[in-house]
Amino acid sequence: MISSWGMLMPPSEVAARAVSQWLLLPIPGPRVLPESFQGYASALPAERSGCDRCSLLIVPAVLTIPLDGMQRIANALRNGATVIIESGGGFAGDLNFRQHRRFLREHLQIDVQSPVDLWKGDARRVPYIDYTWPHAAKVRDFSRVVPLGDHEGAIIAWAGDRPVGLRRQVERGTLIFLGSPLGPALWAGDAEARRWLLGQGFQ
Amino acid sequence: MKKSIGDNMIPKDWGFERGLELVKKAGFDGIELWLGDVPWFQMGTTDAQVRELRRKVENAGLVVSNVSTGLHWASPLSARDPAVRAQAARIVERQIETAVLLGTDAILVVAGLVTEEVPYNEVYQRCVEALRPLGEKAARAGVKIGCENCNSEQRFLLSPREFWQFLNDVNNAAVGIHLDVGNIHDTGFAEQWIEIHGPRITRIHLKDVLKHRGRSGDQSVYTNLFLGDNNWPAIRAALTKVGYDGWLIAEMEARYRYAPDQQFYDTAQAMDRLISGRL
Repeated sequence: MISSWGMLMPPSEVAARAVSQWLLLPIPGPRVLPESFQGYASALPAERSGCDRCSLLIVPAVLTIPLDGMQRIANALRNGATVIIESGGGFAGDLNFRQHRRFLREHLQIDVQSPVDLWKGDARRVPYIDYTWPHAAKVRDFSRVVPLGDHEGAIIAWAGDRPVGLRRQVERGTLIFLGSPLGPALWAGDAEARRWLLGQGFQ
Repeated sequence: MKKSIGDNMIPKDWGFERGLELVKKAGFDGIELWLGDVPWFQMGTTDAQVRELRRKVENAGLVVSNVSTGLHWASPLSARDPAVRAQAARIVERQIETAVLLGTDAILVVAGLVTEEVPYNEVYQRCVEALRPLGEKAARAGVKIGCENCNSEQRFLLSPREFWQFLNDVNNAAVGIHLDVGNIHDTGFAEQWIEIHGPRITRIHLKDVLKHRGRSGDQSVYTNLFLGDNNWPAIRAALTKVGYDGWLIAEMEARYRYAPDQQFYDTAQAMDRLISGRL
């Protein structure tokens, strides 16, 4: 499989890679969910942040990523990094969500469905996303999820029977897509969310 | 201490000016204006119209004690949806703006709502982060934000020490507590909240509660002053102890079914007795 930015996409592999340094990719303009950005920043070890050639690159609550950001992601994957793309589409308006979906499809070959409001109506529900990789974890949902449609890669998170997390190997790196934001749970101090994130190869 | 009552107590078919006459005649010193809860004071009410409200209040021989709102029940600062949060912040900003126009220095905010969907830790964090910049705006305007203790209804900040810690975390002298002595009986005692929060109390809501009827928020719990289970001598003593000399604002959730104007007189007289300590 060849992405639109020219990267070979072989099948998924299983083990999380060791992380030496991490970076939150800055996206110009107002942040969709500022608490998500803060959540990752607060959960990860500060002394390992801010590198140019990091092994964990995170894009919190994103709708679209400009070209220079995509180039950084491509470079990171080429160099064997793990890249987490967290969807910010759950609370986006129709127009913004359409742009988000088109961006994911065209640039990352990730097909997503329209956001689902998990709390719509009166039905009580179990408020957790179930992560299955790199280890099992239950993390609170964030009310709305962006479920995956047709996908290439391994499903690593579920909201009930809806797939909301994807892991795929891209060149030497690992691409992770989260359709349910994890950052707000980190920001609120959710220990399971932190454990899941640190499970991305922090020793 | 001075006596006030909410304009949302004015009988619906009376109108603002007739209601002001009643408030004055009943013996109140001021009136609490509820943004969004009454037809004359909405988010779309212009500055000029707000000034006109102030003129009417002053013509009636009253002043505005504070600006409250119930709009945050539907649009809380703790909402996950950024658009709802932005609206919630805008409501607070409009409260600050109108407080200045109305010549008062305090607003009431219901800070956050814990629900099955939005958990406690998130609500706490989001409220702290929202109130920091809003507190700065309020301070610049010479206004204090009083976060109301709607303990049981909000399922948030359930103990006085936790509320104290919350205000410490917000860390802005312009953000305090709008203490409602009728919202405490589920989990504690109003006089203890008064003692603990003392100088951080921006305004006080008065009503009485019948404990055997259940939790705050259920309208049948509330009753007229001195009919319920609040320990009014202890509340009065606590007010003296902390040196509170500000506004007492009647918030009578239950309304008289007949002769609605009589409730204003009865409430004002009960407040006089509380203030004078003849209990």
